[in-house]
Amino acid sequence: MAKVVIIGGGWSGCAAAISAKKAGADVTVLEKTDLLLGLGNVGGIMRNNGRYTAAEEICFLGARELIDITDQVARHKNIDFPGHQHASLYDVIKVEPIVRKKLREMGINILFETRAIDVKMTCAEITGVLTAKEEWIEGDVFIETTGSTGPMGNCLRYGNGCSMCILRCPAFGPRVSISQRAGVEDILGQRGDDSYGAMSGSCKLSKESLSKELVDKLNEKGVLVLPVLPEDINMGKLELKVCQQYALKEYAENLVLLDTGYAKLMTSFYPLEKLRRIPGLEYARYDDPYAGGKGNSIRYLSMAPRSNTLKVKGLSNLLCAGEKSGLFVGHTEAIATGSLAGHNSVRLYLGMPLLELPRSIAVGDIIAYTNEMTRDPEGIKNRYTFSGGKYFARMKEKSLYTINIELIKKRIDRMGMLNIYDEKLI
Amino acid sequence: MIMHQVLDCIDAGTEYCPCFLAETGDCIMCSQLQGREFCDCQNWKGVCIYQEYVWNGSKIKEQRKDHLCRIISKRQITEGVVLCRIKVSTTLARELNQPGAYVFLRNVNEPGYFDTPMSVMAADGREGTIDIVIHTKGTKTKALVFNSGEFYLRGPYWNGILGLKYIKGLRNSRVLLIARGVGQSPVVNVARKLLAAGNEAIIILDKGRLGINIAEEYLREMPCEIVNKQVLDLNSLEIPKDTVEYIQEVAAKRQISLIYSGGTEKLHEGIVKIIDSLEGNIMFACSNNAKFCCGEGICGSCQIRLQDGSRIRTCKTQINPREIFRGR
Repeated sequence: MAKVVIIGGGWSGCAAAISAKKAGADVTVLEKTDLLLGLGNVGGIMRNNGRYTAAEEICFLGARELIDITDQVARHKNIDFPGHQHASLYDVIKVEPIVRKKLREMGINILFETRAIDVKMTCAEITGVLTAKEEWIEGDVFIETTGSTGPMGNCLRYGNGCSMCILRCPAFGPRVSISQRAGVEDILGQRGDDSYGAMSGSCKLSKESLSKELVDKLNEKGVLVLPVLPEDINMGKLELKVCQQYALKEYAENLVLLDTGYAKLMTSFYPLEKLRRIPGLEYARYDDPYAGGKGNSIRYLSMAPRSNTLKVKGLSNLLCAGEKSGLFVGHTEAIATGSLAGHNSVRLYLGMPLLELPRSIAVGDIIAYTNEMTRDPEGIKNRYTFSGGKYFARMKEKSLYTINIELIKKRIDRMGMLNIYDEKLI
Repeated sequence: MIMHQVLDCIDAGTEYCPCFLAETGDCIMCSQLQGREFCDCQNWKGVCIYQEYVWNGSKIKEQRKDHLCRIISKRQITEGVVLCRIKVSTTLARELNQPGAYVFLRNVNEPGYFDTPMSVMAADGREGTIDIVIHTKGTKTKALVFNSGEFYLRGPYWNGILGLKYIKGLRNSRVLLIARGVGQSPVVNVARKLLAAGNEAIIILDKGRLGINIAEEYLREMPCEIVNKQVLDLNSLEIPKDTVEYIQEVAAKRQISLIYSGGTEKLHEGIVKIIDSLEGNIMFACSNNAKFCCGEGICGSCQIRLQDGSRIRTCKTQINPREIFRGR
């Protein structure tokens, strides 16, 4: 039986686990912390702009499980906020236990607090990964979904230091780039000023720390837009951000709060003293990152060169997904790439041709386009998401963006790919 | 079996970290302090060394100092072997109350190159004393024993044992400790630590060339099983056949989880061979026999070469000791 080992239990690792399991593999997920979903535990935004199209494409390709869960625990559906339409916001507090249960029900083996730190190899093939507890975990095919965030040294060198985010590196140990350990050099994302990495784009405030009036409004509408005091407007901060879909003027002139269970503040960081000058936020405090007044995590310092099938170049049995596979932003993007990598892990084991999604659908196009952009000196300074920025513009230009579910289904069906991830290959 | 080098620094995360090695881009643990620009943090000790360095104004932390101290009692155990009790601060004694602890000692009248690494056999954190056994063999040890008055003590150092994490991590199991000659000195702290963690200890003592079991009076006060046996043949420098069989039998019948070897390299090599002949996954720890000179990873006297050609400085580096004896 094909043993597929997935390193990293974030959204893309979970998606890979599900599709590899459905294709017939024996699946083990190694997760360094005690929570699945990684940064997804503080995310929440789905179906905004082109992510709507992508989410439906993912479902019609057969990887509906995680999209269904985020829909199921949505606190708000079909809401608009500056620059974004028809978003749904999942409850970040409820989502992880449900995903954990789902994976367990499917018979996926999850090893928590298991940090992979090295590999053993025979030629270009990985035969096992070493955990920090000095145990070897062997497998036939490996999928790296370790992400690109942190660790502390990177957050310090390229950001404002460790801000104590949900990844909790000090407590569980830092991520290690498995592809780099296997001898494949990481690709690094850049900022406009040629420095490396980018800063995570949102903080979470404890709702209990907001005024009752604001909380009521936030709970009802899902979104709050509060004007920033004129002397505090800082356009420069938008440059730092990962999330180009939120690097808009409106986000510098206003504080945008979204209801994801926390009050999700759509800015990388915001000094607490200034934040508390805004009416209704006099008692505000951060829940993630704990030092959200000072900084946020640094990302995109660890991407693997890969093909459009998500196989890592130079290694015969390593696939990758999520931020590890390119300059992607968001859960939908992670689920899109994770599902493909999981499915392809079984194809790889069987010696079948690997699946490459066509560019006539958004999910296929973003994987191929981001790959091209990762090789481009200018492209490497951008980030790619269905929800905004350069890629959403491209989606509209190529007529990939639609919220017509029937049309999306027809596009997938036309290529004979309806429910392709449901197919049991072994 | 393919093994893997997991290099740890004994000082990582302590008040002495980051040290001189960080300043010159030679940190044992941190890729950022090895001159690379990104994290590749395989061995996490709960502290980001790079952060400690930057937050300390991109300077190293204050390093260990010479402490002025007195030897309060000297007792000749046998010819050429003296047990000394040294008065130190209670803090230092507490810090040295650890497996693998050692200090550098020299008489105040001697120059710096008389610094002699001495294993701490026992430390009393309440009284502020440490006990060390000095085997007078060369100029430095003779100068320690024959001089009186005040001494400079530099410490605490902890890397006198390799495989410390196996000793420190073991709970409610059974261990076999083997110690010979002056190699018995560090076994006292090893036994104490293991017993405190609910382990049962069987200890094989060999007098070696000293003709006396220097650790026995300390070990007799602990709830452990002591067996006297020759563990190294003085001519062939191999473990006698009946001892090999005894170790194999004890390891199998008593379900031993860890074997500690305190003695020469030949003893370590012999024990590793026995472990390899046994079923199961028995952990191995041993005394670190490299020649320590500075204790700071600077001078290179303790450097050893691993099978893959890489070199490590063993006064600071913790490694699975089987890596060292592999292929020998």
